[in-house]
Amino acid sequence: MTTTEDVPAGGPGPRAWASLTVAEAKMVARDTAGLVVPLGLPLLILVMHGLSFGHATTADGVSLFERYVIPLALTIVVAMVGIVNMPSFLVHYRRAKVLRRLAVTPAHPSMILGAQLFVGLVQCVLGVAIGVTVAMLFFDVGAPQRTGTAVAVLGLATLTMFAVGMIVAALAPSTNAAVATGLVMFFAFGALGGMFGPAESLPAPLAATGEMLPFGAAVQAIGAAWVGADQDPAHLIGMGAAVLVSGAIAVRWFRWD
Amino acid sequence: MGAIEARGLKKRYGDTVAAADVSLDVGSGEIYGVLGRNGAGKTTVVEMIAGLRRPDAGSVRVLGLDPWQDRSRVRQVLGVQLQEAALHGALTVGELVRLHRTFYRDGADPAELIERVGLTGQRGTRFDKLSGGQRQRVSVALALAGRPRAVILDELSTGLDPEARRGMWAMVERLRDDGVTVVLVSHLMEEVERLCDRVALIDAGRVVAVDTPSGLVRRAGLDQVMRFRAAGPFDPAVLERVDVVHSVRTADERVVVTGTGDLLQAVSTALVRADVTVLDTSFQQAGLEDAFLALTGDPFDGEER
Repeated sequence: MTTTEDVPAGGPGPRAWASLTVAEAKMVARDTAGLVVPLGLPLLILVMHGLSFGHATTADGVSLFERYVIPLALTIVVAMVGIVNMPSFLVHYRRAKVLRRLAVTPAHPSMILGAQLFVGLVQCVLGVAIGVTVAMLFFDVGAPQRTGTAVAVLGLATLTMFAVGMIVAALAPSTNAAVATGLVMFFAFGALGGMFGPAESLPAPLAATGEMLPFGAAVQAIGAAWVGADQDPAHLIGMGAAVLVSGAIAVRWFRWD
Repeated sequence: MGAIEARGLKKRYGDTVAAADVSLDVGSGEIYGVLGRNGAGKTTVVEMIAGLRRPDAGSVRVLGLDPWQDRSRVRQVLGVQLQEAALHGALTVGELVRLHRTFYRDGADPAELIERVGLTGQRGTRFDKLSGGQRQRVSVALALAGRPRAVILDELSTGLDPEARRGMWAMVERLRDDGVTVVLVSHLMEEVERLCDRVALIDAGRVVAVDTPSGLVRRAGLDQVMRFRAAGPFDPAVLERVDVVHSVRTADERVVVTGTGDLLQAVSTALVRADVTVLDTSFQQAGLEDAFLALTGDPFDGEER
């Protein structure tokens, strides 16, 4: 008879983490349709805007491309990955009982969450790198005037989108519902945040609201960093608040099975 | 000490009592069947043993460990195959088995494991593209990835064709040869009769009986039936004097004898003594299914046979 003493204690080791992360990366990479929007749409936006008003400037002489188009493209990347892609995987895993299956192995289901966040982050970095490279090569865009600030606000924007995505992951009952909810949030935040044209053309209260919401705030903050303007605290507070509210909702409602 | 001990497990969901009072004692190295109709509480019981559901009352020990307090240690030594669990669909059979292997300290060789469940030809196929039976076999392979000392197999052969089912049974028998303790949840009588050393019959959240499959049949006290045609004149009194015989009657020129115990032997001896030559003998022994029905009362739901 087996005794208790010879059963090894402790959780899964680094190999388990690594292989689960690789597994999640394969899942994401093999879901080709899911990669089209986060990696393709920003490029399309860059190219379309680049062709139509590549060297236009605002009234005070700032490049429109650097102030709005680049920030918009980068925000789309992190919003799409954070609000739509990542949550739909998590909901699918819960719904199809993948998490439950994992719960009977030494690997805890939370490892999937960690691996998904990591893979999502890699997707974001990849999308941002592609976007910035294309913009620099073909549309004469320079590096951000305040590089450190740009990286920091982009990081904050990414955190915000992933937090919002966790609301979707917590509340959506099915994969279909997750994709639908995620897309609705993505487009709603996007529309209010200038995705379909300058926010100035919206009614003033809507534009003001949109600028505080995750998408608009991210576009504004990244744009400001790129052209070397000071950060408007309202945008940073808007994103911070979104992280806190989303985090609270996700912690309260997220279920593993 | 048993490999798996469950004491007084209770679990209710709202007004539904899934487990009223379940105690099981699974010996080390045995194949222990958990048999019951749909909704009898089998899955709830094994999920409590696996540490997936917290019992409202009662305790569980797996190899002496508490599945909640010693979660990580229990997971290292207990393999579990769940009903209806999906896996990472875009991963191939080989990738899945290797992935799950990394979760464990000690484990089986992935290639060998895939061969054992007969999926070597499909090791490069994505899980999504597999048939139901093939997915089931992957699921069983993953339960064995950590070379467990005990495994819970919930509806092992669902979706398998007869040949694959026999292959799976042979694999379970090999687990027993290796000293692995197996808890087999099933409603397939043939599977339980063939594999299980002991069976717990669960009905309405309670253990109705625990015995060997043949012990359950004996316990149900069901009659065996022997039929034959006598070559010449035959006096039923010859058989009515035999201890184990309950009744003798004639129907369609055939004699029908019912009884218990070693009926066939006793009747044959009595007939030889009385110098009766018989033709067309047939013998029917009550099986586990008859015993199941007798011990749990109501008729089976039908669809799940």
